[in-house]
Amino acid sequence: MNRSTGFAFIAPLLVLMVVAFNLPIIYMLGLAFWDKGRGFTLEHYEGLLEAPVYLRVLGNTLRISLIATIANVAIGYPLAHWMRGLGRRARLIAIALVVLPFWVSILVRTYAWIVVLGNGGLVNRSLQWLGLTDAPVQFLYNELGVTIGMANVLLPFLVLPLFAAMIRIDDRLLQAAASLGAPPRTIFWKVYFPLTLPALAAGTLLVFILCLGFYVTPAVLGGGRVPMISNLLDTLINQIPRWEQASAISTILLIVALVIFAGYRRLDRKASA
Amino acid sequence: MTSTPWSRRLLAAAGIFGLVFLTVPLLIVIPMSFSPARALTFPPPGFSLRWYQALFGDPRWMEAMSTSTIVAVLSSVAALVLGSLAAYGLRRGSFAGRDWAEGNFMSPLIVPTIIVAIALYLSLAKVGLLGSFVGLVAAHTVLNVPLVMMVMGVAVRDFDLRIEQVAWSLGASWSYTVIKVMLPNLAPSVFAAWIFAFIGSFDEVIVTSFIAGKYETVPKKMFNELILEVNPTITAVATLLIAVTVLALAAVTLVLGRAGKLGQTLVER
Repeated sequence: MNRSTGFAFIAPLLVLMVVAFNLPIIYMLGLAFWDKGRGFTLEHYEGLLEAPVYLRVLGNTLRISLIATIANVAIGYPLAHWMRGLGRRARLIAIALVVLPFWVSILVRTYAWIVVLGNGGLVNRSLQWLGLTDAPVQFLYNELGVTIGMANVLLPFLVLPLFAAMIRIDDRLLQAAASLGAPPRTIFWKVYFPLTLPALAAGTLLVFILCLGFYVTPAVLGGGRVPMISNLLDTLINQIPRWEQASAISTILLIVALVIFAGYRRLDRKASA
Repeated sequence: MTSTPWSRRLLAAAGIFGLVFLTVPLLIVIPMSFSPARALTFPPPGFSLRWYQALFGDPRWMEAMSTSTIVAVLSSVAALVLGSLAAYGLRRGSFAGRDWAEGNFMSPLIVPTIIVAIALYLSLAKVGLLGSFVGLVAAHTVLNVPLVMMVMGVAVRDFDLRIEQVAWSLGASWSYTVIKVMLPNLAPSVFAAWIFAFIGSFDEVIVTSFIAGKYETVPKKMFNELILEVNPTITAVATLLIAVTVLALAAVTLVLGRAGKLGQTLVER
């Protein structure tokens, strides 16, 4: 196949992508930096700085994303590490149990938490039955519920690549360390953990990017009381049409996501090298 | 490494907690959908098909299902054809801007979906196609191209170029080579890619909520209902979605497992 036929294969998709993806994003960037009368302007960004609500939502988003990401690492690392040590059969079952939720609709997974965390839900009834609380604990429609839901939805994004990296670690390295007299704790922290670090860092960044743009879970589990950037954008587009402001915020979010993604790519290359 | 029994037990406990955290919400929804009660209490106080009757008796849900299915069929086939051709061109060709093109095709996976939704909303409104069926299908196609490219990229790379060359040297045309030589060999991957794109479209909620206008898909309707009030009919919808996903993944596992490509497709990204 020569050069030009190679290009002919990608041409149809390229046309679609330019029309239905690249041009819309460029148009959005244009709205963020353009004013009909005056041309290029940063006015829409100045508007953002003046309104405290925007900064509050930004703070909310960063805080929730950070906590959800940390929770992801705290649950995901031990899970992936445990899966590595399982026998073949048990490991396949564990992989299936991680992959399946990954493909189930995010709405279903979010909705499930309403059922589990509600006042008459499983968690609250267990807590009351154990005598830990008298009144139901309020999990839903606050930051706690949103964070739990987000951590749950994103967990497979961390566990799967992390597990793939852990599987690649040669057992003989660990045996060599042991034969040289290193205690288990030292082997873990000095040999095993550093080998998993690039994959862990890459997975963490990926989860964090996805957190920043989360829309469904905060809308459903936050009940409108925990606005994140995406929900603010929804309001600016669908309720009080302020398209320029929405474009300006989207542009910031896009740049942040791309910068973090560049970091992710570097780490991911290192992890799979 | 985890040599002491205590640390091993602690790790097992943490691992099992992680799996329970991932799967229990899904497992709880299924019995809840068979509950006769309106309140969401677990375990359900009895057994009934009330919410399934409510679901299948509601013409709006039925219409949402048919809209979702039509959009998913059209957009997944479009993503499959365009994505497979592009994956082939990217793996076999060497033209200027190849890396850029590949990065561009994969970018809907990285750009936060809410931004795609807003960009499409603004520009579709500009050209007067907001709420149009064409716009909806095109958006779903763009969003699912990366899934197809991931699967088909690996499949094309692993297919021996010399087999194609032999076919050409024997005088086979390009289309004959693709249909008679490549497709039978790549069929399992094509099937997997199509299923992934179909699920991706059927479950899409963010972009659809922004640009679909009067069209109601299952996820869009579900999302709107979840924000207003919690109606147990949703448990029936959720259970059906879980069932469809399980069946689809089982089919993929079966087909790829037979072709011995399962591990590859799952691990390589």
